[in-house]
Amino acid sequence: MRVLLALTVFGGSVAHATLAPALGIGGVTPDLPLIVVVLLALRRGPEFGCVAGFGAGLLQDAAGGGLIGVQALTKAVIGFVIGAAGSRLSVTQPLVQVPGLVLLTVAEGLVRFALLKVFRFPAAFGDVMLYVVLPQALYNGFLGAALVMGLAWFQSLRARAS
Amino acid sequence: MKIRKFALLVSVVGVCLLLLTLQARGYGASARDLLALVTTPVQAGVARAHRAAFGIWDTYRDWKNVRAENRRLRDDNQRLRVEALRVGETTDENRRLRRLLAFQERLPLKTLSGEVIARDWGGWIRSLTVNRGRGDHVPRLAAVISPEGLIGRIVDVRPGASIVQVLTDPASTVGAHVVRTRASGIVEGDPRGTLRFKYMARGGTGIEVGDVLVTSGQGALFPRGIPIGRVRVIDDRGSALFHYAVLEPAVNFARVDEVLLVTGDTRHDLATYFPTDG
Repeated sequence: MRVLLALTVFGGSVAHATLAPALGIGGVTPDLPLIVVVLLALRRGPEFGCVAGFGAGLLQDAAGGGLIGVQALTKAVIGFVIGAAGSRLSVTQPLVQVPGLVLLTVAEGLVRFALLKVFRFPAAFGDVMLYVVLPQALYNGFLGAALVMGLAWFQSLRARAS
Repeated sequence: MKIRKFALLVSVVGVCLLLLTLQARGYGASARDLLALVTTPVQAGVARAHRAAFGIWDTYRDWKNVRAENRRLRDDNQRLRVEALRVGETTDENRRLRRLLAFQERLPLKTLSGEVIARDWGGWIRSLTVNRGRGDHVPRLAAVISPEGLIGRIVDVRPGASIVQVLTDPASTVGAHVVRTRASGIVEGDPRGTLRFKYMARGGTGIEVGDVLVTSGQGALFPRGIPIGRVRVIDDRGSALFHYAVLEPAVNFARVDEVLLVTGDTRHDLATYFPTDG
């Protein structure tokens, strides 16, 4: 099971650069590894979330050609925080999942922008937020909620079959 | 237990900050190479599977249309259409490769052809991964072109692959001039995924919608005369020093599959080798 999870997180992160453009709507692509890290952190706790976030982010950095360590750091922190707070959150409702993932993506975007600014990222804050982070946050929110509902449906089917 | 959890978080954050600091000081190449050994083969495999999956989807869609039109001939149609699609795809690929080869032979430059195996299109970074790397002696900052125009430059060379910073990347800047008026300026990418031309509007250097922009060749990074795009909208800022124009790129970056990497001397004027209509 652990090997399967590791393959999902790490293989998915490398494949993200190749496959995500196919899911693009109007030039906006979802951050699938972030969604996977959040879902895993909620189920398996802060340590797993932190390591999965670090690994997924590191491979995304490497595959995309950016500064290695930026997404590793942001996703590790998100994985840890969500894993730690998971038991206190009620995340079974789409009304919580959608805004939750939107907020997490925006938070990740803010931390990422701040980190990149330290390394002289030239784009303006307003442009990045308006054209990159917010559209992606909305996409992540709806896609993440759809994934959660899909997983719940699959589990109920399996439970009925057994 | 709680301390162990926080120790893990602090270690991970520390490793990330160390990696970032090392890269900022110019020691990032070996870490990237190590990761590329894992990522490049996976990306190449996924790209192949991805193309195959889309081929199957197209075939299925065509099959559904044929069935609606003529139920009786459904089976025959399906078989023939699959065959036709395969042939069509091969013919299309052949045509593209022939065009690229003819273009490569015509150019007075030393170039290397490459296939796009991955794209990062998120907005923070806009890059292509090409299946040519250190083993092919790809130089860093090499210009990347197609028969339509300029695509970008190589920003990272790894074993077996290179990363191309596309013109629309927010960190990309290229010296350019307008073919019609010779007005010069800088073409920049922005997070929206568009290209904009930043120029000083002085008497006689004005530009018009439809004007073609090509590389200026200054700095010897890019050969002179490669088409970048066409002016779509002019953002006149009155008495401001700099004016801006939004460009329609000469190349459709999202659909480019084969590229040429300029590996030799870049001091050439390539204006006559591209169709600019300008």
